[in-house]
Amino acid sequence: MLAYVVRRIGQFVPTLLGVVLLVFVLFNWIGGDPAYLLAGKMPNPEQIENIRRQLGVDQPYYVQLWIFIQQAATGDFGVSWATNEKVSEIFATRLGPSLTVLVPMLIISTLLALAAAMLVAYLRGSLTDRAIMIGCTVGQAISILVYIIVFQYIFAYQLGWFPVQGWGYGFAENLLSYSALPIIVGVIVSLAPDIRLYRSFFLDEINQEYVRTARAKGLTEARVLWVHVLRNAAIPIVTNVMFQLPGLLAGAFLIERFFSIPGIGREVILAVERSDFPVIKAVTIYVAVATLILNLLADLLYKAVDPRVQLK
Amino acid sequence: MPAPILRAALVVFALLAGCNDAPRSAPSRAPGAAGPGKVLRVTFQAAETGFDPVQVSDYYSGSVIEAIFDPLLTYDYLARPAKLVPNVTESMPEISDQGRTYLLKIRKGIYFSADPAFKGNRRELTAADYAYSIKRFLDPRHRSPYAFLFEGKIVGLDELAARSKQTGRFDYDARVPGLETPDRYTLRIRLNGTDFNFSHVLAFPLAGAVAREAIEAYGDDTGSHPVGTGPYFVKSYTRSSKIVLEANPGYRGRVWDFQPGADPHEQEIASRMNGKKLPLIGRVEISIMEEAQSRWLAFQREQTDIEYQLAEVAPAFMTGDGKLKPELAKRGIKLDRSVDPEIIYLYFNMRERIGNQPNPVSGFSVERIALRRAIAMAYSVDDHIRIVRKGQAIRAHYPIPPGVAGHDPRYRSGIPHDPRLANALLDRFGYRRGQDGFRAQPDGKPLVIRYSSTPTERDRQFDELMKRSLDSIGIRLEIHKDRFAELIKLENDCRLMMRTSSWIADYPDGDNFMQLLYGPNSGQSNNACYQSPEYDRRYEASRLLPDGPERDRLYREMARLMEVHTVWILADSRYRNVLLQPRVVGYKRHPVLHVEWLYIDLDTGVGK
Repeated sequence: MLAYVVRRIGQFVPTLLGVVLLVFVLFNWIGGDPAYLLAGKMPNPEQIENIRRQLGVDQPYYVQLWIFIQQAATGDFGVSWATNEKVSEIFATRLGPSLTVLVPMLIISTLLALAAAMLVAYLRGSLTDRAIMIGCTVGQAISILVYIIVFQYIFAYQLGWFPVQGWGYGFAENLLSYSALPIIVGVIVSLAPDIRLYRSFFLDEINQEYVRTARAKGLTEARVLWVHVLRNAAIPIVTNVMFQLPGLLAGAFLIERFFSIPGIGREVILAVERSDFPVIKAVTIYVAVATLILNLLADLLYKAVDPRVQLK
Repeated sequence: MPAPILRAALVVFALLAGCNDAPRSAPSRAPGAAGPGKVLRVTFQAAETGFDPVQVSDYYSGSVIEAIFDPLLTYDYLARPAKLVPNVTESMPEISDQGRTYLLKIRKGIYFSADPAFKGNRRELTAADYAYSIKRFLDPRHRSPYAFLFEGKIVGLDELAARSKQTGRFDYDARVPGLETPDRYTLRIRLNGTDFNFSHVLAFPLAGAVAREAIEAYGDDTGSHPVGTGPYFVKSYTRSSKIVLEANPGYRGRVWDFQPGADPHEQEIASRMNGKKLPLIGRVEISIMEEAQSRWLAFQREQTDIEYQLAEVAPAFMTGDGKLKPELAKRGIKLDRSVDPEIIYLYFNMRERIGNQPNPVSGFSVERIALRRAIAMAYSVDDHIRIVRKGQAIRAHYPIPPGVAGHDPRYRSGIPHDPRLANALLDRFGYRRGQDGFRAQPDGKPLVIRYSSTPTERDRQFDELMKRSLDSIGIRLEIHKDRFAELIKLENDCRLMMRTSSWIADYPDGDNFMQLLYGPNSGQSNNACYQSPEYDRRYEASRLLPDGPERDRLYREMARLMEVHTVWILADSRYRNVLLQPRVVGYKRHPVLHVEWLYIDLDTGVGK
């Protein structure tokens, strides 16, 4: 097991180098010259040159790439080109609001999707199954933007059950008041694809022989489903959940913009609009590192869930 | 729940709890002198970038800076066109030596808001603070977007900046002959040349005084620690989310004493506000809300008091003729509608070549002027306003917009919208149609107009309008799409053939607009790269004159010259529709000041 973990961690290095190279090429190819955005209304060549020198974009590409590699290795991405704020501080202050919305959203949507998927898998072919599947297909066809606009209008503006937007200073206030509607929207948007996906995992298992055996042994239907079927369907479910986790670091920019949540998603979009490369670099590397670590954890979880899995 | 999982959950919860955006600790002080219960809630549609006056160029940061810092001069709240008045000075500057020397006497007893940088002492504002603050604009380390306001103007300042580039250190203690402080409260500014408009630069909101101790204390983080002498200070600040300002208890205090004009609305404002001590609002809460729907719903739920920018949802609150909808008026909501001091224009690149390619729209030959004139006649500004602006703009006839000194309301463009005449003009000057229906140049070479724009929805609408216009006169159009930064880069190299551009007043004087066509400004603000000795001669003469009939005459000649050469297609100036809750008292949109928080009141008797 230890040898496996060490080997996988060793693979992180070339993967991250690939990410660094890709981001560097993409930014320099399509990112635009930030000096022209920062120079104001009446830039002159001397001023442009001064800005380029201060940002380091006048250096040869190999020097800029080496600096990026050093930053990725140390985790210190310097300061934002647009605001002079330390990039580490941007993440420290914006990650909390994003996680306040996204963590409950992921937990609730996963639990609800599992329950609903189990139900429709059990009732496969019934009217309930068909109705829920049609609902999921329709739900998936609607853009998240529509959900946000309609829910904000009805539940926040018309009914006044939630604030239209905003963010406070206390965790409880933010979670229970300002995050409630964004979480509901996020859960509803992710329910449809998750139910369809998990239903297919359960259906793969529900017709297996071990299920028939369990039933023949006289086990209750609930035990058959929630213990035997769920455990055997757990590997693809774990994969799907782990796949979603790195996204928490990137935030949910549409939800954050419409509900004025000062999260990381809004910051990433701002960084792209402003050609703020230090922030773009940081978020890309953080998400890449999180993806690698969570993939490793997922592999280890497979072993925990199903002892038959061999880690090689 | 198993113990390890429970512990992990608790750790995650604790981490989240620790990620709160707690208010930044502010210096302890007594409650604001203004009504502490009077809380004004406003929104910005884009995030600020910081509050160091020399490091920002965005409107939103400028709005907060204006509330915190004091420039030497400011503007009368009601006078239109905008009128300069003393701010921290005893009187208007004494201008002598043919507009080359400005003498300013700063009032005694004005103090910076309390800050740990002052180590518990009260810090009085002095002339040296302004000298220091002006020098900062030219310090290369700050890469100030507004350095151009001072560059080349003050005797000895550019030399100091040049020396700093060699030594790597800007010497703030070095003597600058053009920035002298003969005594603690006197500032003498000597300019390299005559400039009667320099008073406007001294009233520029970003030209407020900073204290050197505070700047040095906060090092690279001056953007989040603004310390000024203005009516407000930053109480708490969550970047890109919420900014809370509180009335500065040590503010020198001003009395609302502005003279209303004939406008009944101004007279009503004056009758309610006259004699009140400013500021009246104790706290300003600014939320960043990017989406128009969120701002509009929040305003309707009375979660905000003033909405500055709701152009996207204008049909929801306005009738077709620009009036507030009756149901909103019945609720006491008010609409303040004014035209922004800006112009939107389409320019033609006047350089003979763009890169290695000949430029078919350039030059002063009659054929080229005829081509540009025909395009201008084919472009429908009315459609531009109706379709793209959704009616939220007025046609611009003159390069100087309304509300800015030098604007001529009687001037009318001599170029009508008349595609038939445009076709006749092109036929007359040898732009013959080929078999495909498109015209060639008089020498038979293909004629393709390359129009550049960004890949946004608004610019797509401009593209379609341009395509329709050029199709109507048989000219082939090529749309060049690129990111904004790249377009600016190409524009500064005079490498764009045609683009829609805009300019909003930095200060309310015609010079700020007429310089857009001054030859030496090519590659900077003169994005048409127009080089006309006739225009430049008149512009240079106008710079030696104060605002008045003689300068206006020169401006009219320059505007007509621009039309004769058809360098621009002048399009529009946009409306600013500001929505106010019933409890907001005394609001009138100022054409130059970013925000009016200092001059308004909240009627706490009117339901929130």
